[in-house]
Amino acid sequence: MTSAQERSDLMGKLGLNVQNRAAIGRLLNSGNVGEAKEHGDGRMTATIRINPDELTWDPQILVMPHGGDIELELINDDQNTHCALLPSNGDRKFIWLVNHSRGRATLNLDGPGCYWYSSPTGNDEGRGLTGAIVVLGDVPPEARLDRPDQPRP
Amino acid sequence: MTVEYVDAGEAIDQGDLSGNHGTAPPVVEGVTYERILEARSEPQNWLTYYGAYNGQRFSPLDQINTENVKRIGPAWVFQAGSSGMIAGASTYAFEAAPLVVDGVMFVSGWDGWVWALNAATGNEIWRYKHATPYDVSLCCGNVNRGVAVAKGKVFSVTPNAHLIALDATTGKKLWDRTYGDVRAGESATCAPLIVKNLVIVGSSGGEFGVRGHLDAFDLDSGEHAWRCYMVPKPGEPGSDTWPSEGQAWARGGGNCWLTGTFDPETNLLYWGTGNPAPDFDGEVREGDNLYTDSIVAIDADAGEIRWHYQCTPHDVWDYDSISECILFEHEGRKLLGHFDKNGYFFVVDRTNGELVRITPFVDRIDWGNITRDGKVTPSRYPEKEGEPVHFFPGPAGAKEWTHAAYNPETELFYVPVQDVGATATRRRREFKESIPYWGAGVQVDIEDMTGYVSAYDANGEEKWRWRAKLPMCASVLTTGGGLVFAGEPNGMFNALDARTGEHLWQFQCGSGHHSSPVSYSVDGRQFVAVPVGWGGWAEGFLPGMLGAGHGSALMVFALPPE
Repeated sequence: MTSAQERSDLMGKLGLNVQNRAAIGRLLNSGNVGEAKEHGDGRMTATIRINPDELTWDPQILVMPHGGDIELELINDDQNTHCALLPSNGDRKFIWLVNHSRGRATLNLDGPGCYWYSSPTGNDEGRGLTGAIVVLGDVPPEARLDRPDQPRP
Repeated sequence: MTVEYVDAGEAIDQGDLSGNHGTAPPVVEGVTYERILEARSEPQNWLTYYGAYNGQRFSPLDQINTENVKRIGPAWVFQAGSSGMIAGASTYAFEAAPLVVDGVMFVSGWDGWVWALNAATGNEIWRYKHATPYDVSLCCGNVNRGVAVAKGKVFSVTPNAHLIALDATTGKKLWDRTYGDVRAGESATCAPLIVKNLVIVGSSGGEFGVRGHLDAFDLDSGEHAWRCYMVPKPGEPGSDTWPSEGQAWARGGGNCWLTGTFDPETNLLYWGTGNPAPDFDGEVREGDNLYTDSIVAIDADAGEIRWHYQCTPHDVWDYDSISECILFEHEGRKLLGHFDKNGYFFVVDRTNGELVRITPFVDRIDWGNITRDGKVTPSRYPEKEGEPVHFFPGPAGAKEWTHAAYNPETELFYVPVQDVGATATRRRREFKESIPYWGAGVQVDIEDMTGYVSAYDANGEEKWRWRAKLPMCASVLTTGGGLVFAGEPNGMFNALDARTGEHLWQFQCGSGHHSSPVSYSVDGRQFVAVPVGWGGWAEGFLPGMLGAGHGSALMVFALPPE
């Protein structure tokens, strides 16, 4: 058994934090966590990289302070070709990311929760290039239930 | 040496890579309230969820009939399968009722999909995808039951409880309103209903201890018009059916997670409400728990309850009354027919809610008894902590949400029946927002189950029965060709003689049916369309088929071209 505090050490000891030591691929969501930047005009931006031979997004968990539009810079520093299929209202956004390339994606995510994205191309699926975008905040006041505040977990 | 990055450009819509996208003709521009009122005078179209405001699921089309139905076959198939991650990946199902307007079909899928298709060929015209959080609380699967159309717009709810209005020609979003709180466990699955200049939608989430509600929005602007809660606050009418102390009412359920019907003469919406919460632990909510498990009549303009009829007072079996309220006339009376999860067929005077008749429509009912005058006597229910209790029907009901139909030519109702039991063991738990709030451990039987389609007249007399091997978990459709179409969990799609129940035709669709078939015509050729895709809350309505393969095909049948 392990505690949460020991998680990072044990991940390293077992080889769960790299490619092809414990698992074959990279364990989902075992990478870094990052926050989107909110600008004075309300825009949100973030940069997500694919580092060489890691087959993981960096950060692998991107946190937005609230729902809305976000501009992503996507950088592939790897020596292989990948892609990204990202959640966005209207349609999912697709971008092809050849070796050593840089692209952009503008997403609209309208509410709180955890959204997944991935690199749905041959050789990548299941290997670790599955990332999460977590949107913080609450729904608008008019959408909330008319009742006293309730306990949460 | 620094090497410049290759410019990968800007990410594009995935649909641009589908090989099939464009603009639909402006067929929805002229769809008004007045046209929807007379929807059955346009038999070539299916303009609203049930085909008409009366909820009958009847198509007057008769090109396909009892004589020639054996000759129909697939005209086209739309495969909706998608790549990438989806919310609740294991629980998606294709549960919609497609709408058709002058040759264009509008249909929703799981996970926030809406498509416009050429109704004659199946070619995709446009698609809309709403981004759905993976962790939104979906009590009964990642599903959606259909769209509404009017005044150039397509309306759909999303799993994260938004109501969106799309341009019917392009699929681009025109407005978006949030009407539920995903952090409280709310979601949305119903097909919207257009009434006058309102678009009306209900909330889902009854297994999470929310307070169910129905909302109306102006269909042009998206402005919120009214909200009607289905559990009263302290001091409001009906609040004496909840404990006077504590907050049971605030977590009481009663969600409107299906689409209602409407009578323009009474100006009343007829909506079924969901189970009380917690589902199986009634001790924490003593009383009848209005307006859960009820047929509720709501003034369409004011959004206020005018009368109610409660089918299962103080429910402890998860017997939502969300099923359709089918409007019909009989012996000069304006009536409403409702097949409830509790196994009884209720006929009610729709002007005032007065009970006319109650008839059991499933062979095995042992949870309790309802007398002809409506007196309810429970007999088997999870009462003592930790003590398993088996009862019929199980929590999916003798008929789940999937719809019955009424044929005005045969004057018969057709009901898909599930004869399955379950065991519930009461396990009390504290309420916490967003955590399932059942109050029991529940296991639905995987053996000793059966199903059938039964035909009933307005007096509650069973006229015929077509027996299936498995419980019937899909809506039925009846037509002017004297037919009843009914899908099975094993993938078979069947045509029955509406007068006799004789089995006339079947086709193996490759995945179980859990949707609502419709019929329409284009250029004089009649089609029957059925979304096929097993899944959703299968552990609740048919766990014996939990391991069956998913599907995501819209199958459309017709006679061979002349």
